[in-house]
Amino acid sequence: MSPRASSSTLVGFATPGAIVFGLFFLLPVGAVLGGAFADGGSAFRRLAADPVFWNGLRGTLVLGTVAPLFSVIVGVAVALALLRLAPGLRTAALIAISLPLTFSGLIVAYGFILLLGRAGFVTLLLAELGFDPAVTGAFIFSPLGLGLAYSYYLVPRVVLIVLPAMGNFDRNQLLAARSLGAGGLRALIEVMLPQIMPSLVAAFCLTSAVAVGAYGTALALVGTQVNILPLFLYSKISETGTDLPAASATSLVLVAICAMVVAIGEAFRRSRG
Amino acid sequence: MTLQYDNVSYTYSGGTAGVFDVSLEIGRGELLAIIGASGSGKSTLLKLLAGFVKPDRGRILIDGHDVGHLAPEARRLGVVFQNYALFPHMRLWENVAYPLKVRGISRDERRSRAVEMLGRVGMHSRADDLPAALSGGQQQRVALARALVFEPQGLLLDEPLSALDAGLRMEMRDEILRVQRQSGIATLLVTHDQEEALSIADKVVMMRDGRLVQIGTPRDLYETPADASVAAFVGQSNLWPGEVSGDGMVSTDIGTLSCDTAGWAPGAKVTVLVRPERVEPITGGVDTAKPGEFAGTMAADRYLGPVRRLDLAVAGGFIRLETHLREPLTGASIPPGAIRLLPPT
Repeated sequence: MSPRASSSTLVGFATPGAIVFGLFFLLPVGAVLGGAFADGGSAFRRLAADPVFWNGLRGTLVLGTVAPLFSVIVGVAVALALLRLAPGLRTAALIAISLPLTFSGLIVAYGFILLLGRAGFVTLLLAELGFDPAVTGAFIFSPLGLGLAYSYYLVPRVVLIVLPAMGNFDRNQLLAARSLGAGGLRALIEVMLPQIMPSLVAAFCLTSAVAVGAYGTALALVGTQVNILPLFLYSKISETGTDLPAASATSLVLVAICAMVVAIGEAFRRSRG
Repeated sequence: MTLQYDNVSYTYSGGTAGVFDVSLEIGRGELLAIIGASGSGKSTLLKLLAGFVKPDRGRILIDGHDVGHLAPEARRLGVVFQNYALFPHMRLWENVAYPLKVRGISRDERRSRAVEMLGRVGMHSRADDLPAALSGGQQQRVALARALVFEPQGLLLDEPLSALDAGLRMEMRDEILRVQRQSGIATLLVTHDQEEALSIADKVVMMRDGRLVQIGTPRDLYETPADASVAAFVGQSNLWPGEVSGDGMVSTDIGTLSCDTAGWAPGAKVTVLVRPERVEPITGGVDTAKPGEFAGTMAADRYLGPVRRLDLAVAGGFIRLETHLREPLTGASIPPGAIRLLPPT
């Protein structure tokens, strides 16, 4: 039996975490909560009556579902490819894949503009092949283009989450399934997928929460052309049309969406546990 | 159904390891064991037959039909893996029923057939358990049931007992043999455990560096090994370099031995093989003037229960022997009939 730590030791270890939690979660959420109800809760009524808010909510939910889903599919394929590499090469590839996580959203957006914007490298290259740059150059500024830019930094997160689970999977099970009569795809779906599903759900939830809250990339790429809640919130704190209680109420809605996504993931994990 | 390798070669990409020019046949109901050291190519042979790797040259035949181009799922071969490879998210009956499921058999029928098959390996009462609830031996039984439930054309066993402890290994060895005999199915057993191979196989193949060194019955491999490497791998052995010094005489580092030298010219270099259980212990006086009789002292004495395995230090080397005697030895005698001459190493 391991010896129990004394209460004072436990308090000592817990204090830094409690301070960070209080300062960077409870306090801001408290402030936002206070701000949202500053005018007696009418901010929520204004949001409910505003069709731009509902469009933004719809856009956020679509983006928060499609971009993570796409990222999970691409991330799983990348992880499968990584597992086939020699350990040294795999580590090098993993470092390269993780690089986007160190960039800010603004840098990612400008990178995509330089690559796929109206005067972007790829756009000009495609123009040489006869593609209309007005069409190809507009892609990155569309909701789909925004989803692609999000995936750029969501895919590495997926890879980092699913790789350990996929690496621990006993590949002999796939060979066993093949020898028992299942085709390659069927073996993957019926034997591997159920076992790595908890990590896929965790990856989806995390990347969904990131996509729902992402702001810099969207602002730089599409400005206010695409209606999503972070940009709606931005419009409520910009110089024209400032409405801080409505901005706080929008923040709470965003927090609620993220909390809901994480809760769904956690419920799934427990149901499998 | 027969399983056959016809001049098969396979080299792993980026290396020189693989299997080379292998021709081999496993008859209906026959259990053939492949033994060899790690890296000898025995598991590669199994992978080639299962379809997990494709041969560079040669043909893989099942009942006379070339299946070298077929995917594993089209070969209808049951495979039991070293780590069992049961599906942890499926109940035992679902594991066993999986090959029936992929063949489109109804749920009720596959459950009934899976439970019946589990009964054949004594596991029907655990049909609704998950694999994690089972011991290694129980998982092995389920893996065997799963590999046989769809009446495959052959059974491939890849080191099936190596993860089990010694007692259970013997029990499972008998179990595998019983089920294999009951099914009458051509079976390939890959193992590094020569005792396992000798005890249950109809034929044993010894591999080294990707090539077949010897094929024969367990008795053939033990009694008449093709060379010193087979003799050393299969059972315990005394191996001394020697030279045929005359008709019926061979000289070694420990002295001159009398034996059958038919087929060997005087002066020929040989390896002298003597199995330890064929060496006769001497507890009294030793007549070293007699060919094959040696005085010595005990250098190592291993108590193995029914027998002792001793290393006797004699002039020029050691003689390993096994004896039921409990008293100290003063020497050992090697009868001419115990000696087999092999090619020099």
